[in-house]
Amino acid sequence: MQEGLDLMPQIRDKARELLTSGAVDCVIGYERASDGLTARPLFAYEPNDVDKLIFDQTCAHNLARFLVNKRDSTVAIVAKPCDSRAINLLLAEKQIQRERVYVIGVVCPGIVEATWGQIGDKLQARCQLCREHTPLVYDFLVGEPPAEEPPAEPYHDVAEMEAKSAAEKHSFWAEQFARCIRCYACRQACPGCYCTECFAEQLDPLWVGIRIAPMENEVWHIIRAFHLAGRCIACNECERVCPVNIPLSLLNRKLEKDVLELFGFRSGLSAEAVPPLATFKKEERLGMSE
Amino acid sequence: MIEGYQPKIIGFLCNWCGYAGADLAGTSRITYPANIRVIRVPCSGRVDPLLVLKSFQRGADGVLIAGCHPGECHYVEGNYYTRRRFALFHPFLEYLGIEKERFRVEWVSASEGKKFSKLVSSFTEELAKLGPRREA
Amino acid sequence: MARIGVFICHCGTNIAGTVDIAEVMAAAEKMPQVVFVDDNKYTCSEPGQASIRDAIIANRLNRVVIGSCSPRMHEMTFRRTVAAAGLNPYLLEIANLREHCSWVHSGDTVAATAKAIELVRMAVAKVSRAEALFPKEIGLTKRALVVGGGVAGIQAALDIADAGYEVVLVEREPSIGGHMAQLDKTFPTLDCSACILTPKMVDVAQHPKITLLTYAEVQKVNGFVGNFEVEILHKAKKVDHSKCTGCGTCWQKCPEKLPSEFDHGLGQRTAIYIPFAQAVPPKPVIDTEHCRYMKYLEFMEQGKEGKKPPQCLICEKLCPTGAIDWEQQDQVSTEQFGAIVVATGYQAFDAAVYGEYGAGRYPDVISGLQLERLMNASGPTSGEVIRPSDGSHPQTVVFVSCVGSRDDQKGRSYCSKVCCMYMAKHAIMLKEHDPEIQSYIFYIDIRAGGKDYEEFAQRAQEEYGALYLRGRVSKIYPQNGKLIVCGEDSLIGRPVEIAADLVVLATGMIPSAGAAEMARRLNISCDSNNFFIEAHPKLRPVETLTDGVFLAGSCIGPRDIPECVAQGSAAAAKVAALFSHDTLTSDPMTATIDAMRCIGCLLCVEACPFNAIDSLVTSDGRTVAGVIESVCEGCGLCVSTCRPGAANLRGFTQQQLLAEVMVL
Repeated sequence: MQEGLDLMPQIRDKARELLTSGAVDCVIGYERASDGLTARPLFAYEPNDVDKLIFDQTCAHNLARFLVNKRDSTVAIVAKPCDSRAINLLLAEKQIQRERVYVIGVVCPGIVEATWGQIGDKLQARCQLCREHTPLVYDFLVGEPPAEEPPAEPYHDVAEMEAKSAAEKHSFWAEQFARCIRCYACRQACPGCYCTECFAEQLDPLWVGIRIAPMENEVWHIIRAFHLAGRCIACNECERVCPVNIPLSLLNRKLEKDVLELFGFRSGLSAEAVPPLATFKKEERLGMSE
Repeated sequence: MIEGYQPKIIGFLCNWCGYAGADLAGTSRITYPANIRVIRVPCSGRVDPLLVLKSFQRGADGVLIAGCHPGECHYVEGNYYTRRRFALFHPFLEYLGIEKERFRVEWVSASEGKKFSKLVSSFTEELAKLGPRREA
Repeated sequence: MARIGVFICHCGTNIAGTVDIAEVMAAAEKMPQVVFVDDNKYTCSEPGQASIRDAIIANRLNRVVIGSCSPRMHEMTFRRTVAAAGLNPYLLEIANLREHCSWVHSGDTVAATAKAIELVRMAVAKVSRAEALFPKEIGLTKRALVVGGGVAGIQAALDIADAGYEVVLVEREPSIGGHMAQLDKTFPTLDCSACILTPKMVDVAQHPKITLLTYAEVQKVNGFVGNFEVEILHKAKKVDHSKCTGCGTCWQKCPEKLPSEFDHGLGQRTAIYIPFAQAVPPKPVIDTEHCRYMKYLEFMEQGKEGKKPPQCLICEKLCPTGAIDWEQQDQVSTEQFGAIVVATGYQAFDAAVYGEYGAGRYPDVISGLQLERLMNASGPTSGEVIRPSDGSHPQTVVFVSCVGSRDDQKGRSYCSKVCCMYMAKHAIMLKEHDPEIQSYIFYIDIRAGGKDYEEFAQRAQEEYGALYLRGRVSKIYPQNGKLIVCGEDSLIGRPVEIAADLVVLATGMIPSAGAAEMARRLNISCDSNNFFIEAHPKLRPVETLTDGVFLAGSCIGPRDIPECVAQGSAAAAKVAALFSHDTLTSDPMTATIDAMRCIGCLLCVEACPFNAIDSLVTSDGRTVAGVIESVCEGCGLCVSTCRPGAANLRGFTQQQLLAEVMVL
């Protein structure tokens, strides 16, 4: 994968400068995975680590996920546009402090479909729909922002699902949720899922029983998605890491679409935005009678 | 319609309006079907979507949330949050295969006993037509 | 292990006539943790309550379910019952078997009984997760803040102070007195307004329990009932009132003349001024925006081009006590209060939106309040009623009613209540001033509800010859030194035209400027017109839904003087009742936040309608949310906003509600 490789020297130089000067304790970026093809997160603490940093179209992870764990130190982070929206989300929800995060923003060429040991040549679905190729928040920008961003995201997949009958929808989701092994990889990959004690693992009240059964899986998936309503920044990492290929984006994107239509809101666009479910407008009707 | 099928409705009623309206239906002796089970909450804004989902899972055929009319919330703004939350959660339930007729958010004031009884009657009727829910 | 007792009430035949009590009892016996089941003919009766008390003790019950009427009816009664048996009153749950069951399912015993059993099952499930709750005692500061120094605020301040409590009265103008001070006479008794008000104003200034802060504004309110912390902005007066004797030399000699707000532009004041002769305190402030020396200072500071303003300083030179203090700046003080009375009053509707009436364009079209100033002996014309345009004495005066009132299109939909009466008063007074004056009054309805009001309005017509014309005025235009008033007399169904010397617009009342911001500061609510909303329009007319914040006067809606005074006293009585306690008891059904689960997103802080949640830092350095229990009203909005389940609501916990759902 060649696209994006030319950005590497700039990222490395900036990372080295930050670590050498002591401006940050750690640089979170990507390095080549052990398959020699794909990427994995790198935590560079020493200037010497910097030469491992890479950036190309295999750098899938949303590294903003790690910022909450690093909130007690000062870090730099390599951020694609979707990662930058996650940074804004974390700032808005007071999980991180802006002055302790140095954002090396990367103009993103889109990430390709890849699994360990294998790289495809197709862009990931999320990248095909992407509206932002330039990060929304950064201290240092790498790459040339495109002159024009593609038009608004279509929701063909969601509309298709909406058009199905209740019975079809029910059996579709029942089948999806039945496959879930509740490994919670979706949660671990998500930058918005940072609760120290997830509702799904609480014993009192017991919302989600410990058994892996359709009913418990259903609660997990519905509430996971709803807890991200108006917060999900569409990096789609949850779906990418799902070992049983549950189409989680179909849940997330439904809520994203409705949040946009009902409240005119997209998450992660600014660090000051109040999430739509924590506010209201008196005059709005939202399709309900008076 | 299935003969003898009695749908079950869970009603989350706010103490000040929905619940008081239901009380008024009682003191006015306005009859309605016995299909609703009421859970009293201080404010419709107290209702967590988790409770709605759990109600459906436990066999509710329909779930009702009744709060004060917008602008009349006892807690000033609680129902504005209810409105937002369930304006979003309702279509999500529908998307997951729970017919939209099975969930209602209604505004019932303490003086609307009649409205409450009509609401329960029409909801029961609609759910009876819809038939039982598919099991997860 | 819970030991739950279930008590089913027959309520005579109210429940037992429809619900099969024996069947409900049999079902209840099989419910988990239920160790005792009993029934009563009338549970709320003394024998009924006694049997519950006895059963609790005899069976060592630690939870109680009563299947009876609505909890909105007897929850408090039964809480006392179980408390009398030594049980925490919150370990009680009521199954509503009457209003929600027997009364609405009469004639269907099978369905009603089945439902009653399920309602009892839900109550048993809920009470099994109930926890003992304990009200908290909180201290209170026995010191009241009154906002607004009109007659309502004055009355409230005096009554609270007379009850023996300290009061701080804050007024944003340089003097207290409000609109009543501007009036000439009051209806229907025609008392001189100033003669009855000024003694009260002086009482305020001299009362040992009252601190009067004029030219000051409430900037920020924190805290809760008994424990408010209020930031008060003291606007710079540029005059040291501790030195000033109010001799008046400065405002007599100040060369800068400006239209007087108090006289609604009909008279003039100086840049250093008291708003009116009987002002309290009788000491001036400097209008820094217009003072010549302030302009000079500004000019020098900014190094502006052009003509330098004079370095006036006349007031400073002439002041015999050296009270002028140019160094004085705006200051903010923070004070503690236990209760707040809001009496911010009204302002007159601005008639300019009625272009067809020419207010502001034709000098002889004036407002009711302007006429008050013209008639007032201490007003700009020393009580001589003249036309502002040429100083001549008007002979024909036309009144236009409902200007801004009862008009959805251009004004407000409500009736301003006082205008009908003040028009009648004006007609009478004009005749007293000059028997040659003929008054015409265009009206929609004559609203004269009140003691002696109707008689007064009749007198205006019968004894003083005011001519009432039922209809709206469509247009007013000047012609040959007169104002031609075109209207309709709907009683004879004909258009009328009157050539008037003076036109008086009976402008309505709207909330005073800044009412909406004040409401936000106090966390009280406003209606669509920005009038403050009382806790209950009939039964709690001077309270708000924010404990410890009370209302009085025309900030709630149009009021006349007696109503304002009554409300001022009523609010004072509420404050005195509050202050008669040494501590306050808080409802224990409040929100809680588990700091271990809290992730510090603080969305609950954002959502809480009562500002009852604050952020705090834990001993391990994490920022989390914390509930201020005495402010929390127990709505539970925070619970459903909280993703990690850190927030919960006592008495309606997630566990309790889930338990109800799980027994479905």
